[in-house]
Amino acid sequence: MSRDLELEIENAARELAERYEEINLLYTISEILGRTVSLDRAATTILREVSETVGARRAAIYTCEAGSDMLDPIASVGVPDALPSVSLSDPRNLAARAFRGRHSVVIAPEDDVTDDGFRIGAVLAVPIMWTGEAGRPELLGAVSLTNRSTGAAFSAGDVKLVAAIATQIGSAIQNARLVRESIEQQRLLQEVRLAHDLQMKLLPSGDVVAPQAEASARVVPAESVGGDFYHLFRLTPSATGVMIGDVSSHGYRAALIMALAMSAAAIHAQSTLDPAAMLHALLYSLREELSNTEMFITLFYGVVDRQNRTLQYANAGHPHVFCCRPTGEPERLGALDPPLGMSDQAPTSRTVKWTPEKDLLVLFTDGITDALNDAGQPMGERRVLDTIQRYATEPAAVIVDRVFDALSQHTGDIPPRDDLTLVVLRS
Amino acid sequence: MSFTLKKNGDVVVVDVEGQLIVGNRQELKQKVLDELEKGDRKFLIDFAQTGYIDSSGLGVLVSLSKKIREHGGELRLANLNDDLQTLFELTKLDTLFQIADTRERALEGF
Repeated sequence: MSRDLELEIENAARELAERYEEINLLYTISEILGRTVSLDRAATTILREVSETVGARRAAIYTCEAGSDMLDPIASVGVPDALPSVSLSDPRNLAARAFRGRHSVVIAPEDDVTDDGFRIGAVLAVPIMWTGEAGRPELLGAVSLTNRSTGAAFSAGDVKLVAAIATQIGSAIQNARLVRESIEQQRLLQEVRLAHDLQMKLLPSGDVVAPQAEASARVVPAESVGGDFYHLFRLTPSATGVMIGDVSSHGYRAALIMALAMSAAAIHAQSTLDPAAMLHALLYSLREELSNTEMFITLFYGVVDRQNRTLQYANAGHPHVFCCRPTGEPERLGALDPPLGMSDQAPTSRTVKWTPEKDLLVLFTDGITDALNDAGQPMGERRVLDTIQRYATEPAAVIVDRVFDALSQHTGDIPPRDDLTLVVLRS
Repeated sequence: MSFTLKKNGDVVVVDVEGQLIVGNRQELKQKVLDELEKGDRKFLIDFAQTGYIDSSGLGVLVSLSKKIREHGGELRLANLNDDLQTLFELTKLDTLFQIADTRERALEGF
């Protein structure tokens, strides 16, 4: 065999061995990434493997968080102390240079380059990118390798290999971010559920006014937390307080106002039987909060006294409250004053006659009357009142069920755009 | 949904097309406040082309009315359709605004 042929076989064998090592490295990395979700741990293992394959004794992987202008080290090999974060605009850091240029930086041992002290001889710095469905590569970080055991420059093959691994690291970083976001979303969802449960728990059961009154109520918030509420109070053995309110918004801010209104109402209701005085005290408690948030509340508060056979009420802008009697049209107990938070004037009150056990006090919010069907038509007040009159002699809970049945029939699958609240009371 | 601002003498007339709801109320508020900042004091919001106002839309009207009054000005409303007129009456909001049937009537004596 000629000497040339021997050399060629030797070269081919060496190249084969190198390719084998590279393929082996890629398999190893896939395996590392496949069995861990901890990015830092995976990054350290990958960096060690890749450093060994290309013979680099010093190496680092940096990542850049969205919106940040710093590269943060997440793994390093062969550095005595922890690496500091690096500004993306740092002219001396070669990883930052690769990141800025979106391209590999290859420095030969003999090249004269000012660096930040990381370099020992040859350097290879490669940007870490990830290409999502949109097809536009996103910069996520950079990997930097130096201090080669052979002292030689990095070859084109080394650059190609490290670039391929950088792509894999990019996918891993992206996956880790998605996992983190998904955990964060789940946590948020859980908090929203908790807030919803908490809000529902603030609303009293109809039992709190039994046996002197029979009450049933339902609140369905349009969002997870809403701004509708009601309250029921047993004031004396014959007097029952009923409140309904609608905060002019949804979401957390409305829910907070609702919670404030409910707790303040619970305190003031026990100190007076006069609905106007109670609303005035409530307005005083909420004034600052309402004015700061530009919200207002439509609020009705009535006191049914079965012994005196009266219903006295104050109504700050709540449109849908009715006294339904066994005969005749339901009587609207209309607003006597504008909604709380819209005016500073003291609320007034009015008294109507009440027939115990016969009359029904019906309170609802505009979420019910304004609920649209698929043709865009609202349910309307008339249909709510017709349903109530049809079932007026049934228990309060049945009446509430029937109104919500009618509402479901009307809206079908269309989700509510506003909170839905209905309270029915007999005493 | 859009808001058009026009000057009629010294009155800024705002047309509300479509709905005044949570999604666009801030736009109306900003437009009116910008004019108030520039020195205008008389405002008329015309609802001739408005189908629906939700509760947060009502809130903005009250808040604008307060702000304009604080600057020594006045906000009037005109052309509420029957549903809106009923809504204003049922909520007693009609006691907080000067409401006219037509734009011309609203402008009279402004």
